[in-house]
Amino acid sequence: MGNKTLALCRTAPYGSALAREGLEAVLASAAMEQEVDLLFIGDGIFQLLGNQSPEEIQQKSQRRNLLALPMFGLEQFYVCASSLAERGVKPKLIEIPGVEIKTIEQPGALIASYQCVLSF
Amino acid sequence: MTLHLVSKSPFSSSALRDCLQSFAEGDALLLIEDGVYALRHDALQTLQNSAVYCLEADAAARGQRELAAIVSGIKMIDDAGWVKLCTQHNPIVSWFR
Amino acid sequence: MPRSAGHFTIWPAMKFSLAVYSAPHSTQSAASALRFAKALLSEGHEIYRIFFYCDGIQNGNSIAAPPQDEADLTGEWQDLQRQYNLDLVICIAAAQRRGVLSQREAERQEKLSANLAEGFELAGLGQLTDAVANSERLVTFGG
Repeated sequence: MGNKTLALCRTAPYGSALAREGLEAVLASAAMEQEVDLLFIGDGIFQLLGNQSPEEIQQKSQRRNLLALPMFGLEQFYVCASSLAERGVKPKLIEIPGVEIKTIEQPGALIASYQCVLSF
Repeated sequence: MTLHLVSKSPFSSSALRDCLQSFAEGDALLLIEDGVYALRHDALQTLQNSAVYCLEADAAARGQRELAAIVSGIKMIDDAGWVKLCTQHNPIVSWFR
Repeated sequence: MPRSAGHFTIWPAMKFSLAVYSAPHSTQSAASALRFAKALLSEGHEIYRIFFYCDGIQNGNSIAAPPQDEADLTGEWQDLQRQYNLDLVICIAAAQRRGVLSQREAERQEKLSANLAEGFELAGLGQLTDAVANSERLVTFGG
């Protein structure tokens, strides 16, 4: 199927449902073999942190959805370098097994290379 | 080239700031809903050489139409103009929070 | 690409899809989506699908009863659907969580009543993927 898609993930997990529902949409696309990439930017980078304990607030783990993505062929995440720096998040805090994290300096150029962008 | 839609006030949301961080040369910006309050924000000045549009009805509803007319470089458009912008640009990225 | 006809540049009709994440009566965004949809159609473009996701599923809630002097977005979507035979799809997973059910879903979930507005249909997230794959433009309305 056509139209290379970018999911722009700029919402932190748990505080709103958008981050979770966004990932569910990405999983659905990947399951249908639609070409979709992820860019974590702004507060969206907080979805990647490894030490989340959402059971403390009776929520399902969002990171578990992220961990499932490589099974659907999504093995590379784009992450905005300045969003990480601004929030004091070191790249080693956002490692995900089976996923290559590519930090990018120019999100605008990346976004412009897609035919479709879904914002979450 | 990307069309960016910003629909939140820059005084209460990072939507405009995040959009500007992801703005590439040749991109266009359209202010809608509370995004029209960007007309009162310094950040717009970084886009002096770019195409910046404002949805006239949303500006008028909020008492900002006259301001939009005097902020240099801002083009006021109606709904048909919005549609046309969307046909001329791709992808279309919404910054709504 | 545009073609030229004398002095005019004509942009051909395009196939659009919209993703709507916001409930009516909370923020302006669902109303903006409706305005934009009307403008697209009056400019001669095609709407492949409107996909309602997240709180946007409330656009298809038939038991909302806004005051007479306020916009009735659900009713306006229905009018537009009838006029242009639009494909208005509500994400079933998002709708189940928030309580918009078809008759069939209400029975299946053993709930007292169904409230999915006529003209809307419940379907899976695959319909968003399909819309992305088959549209030339996708515009998201959220917040």
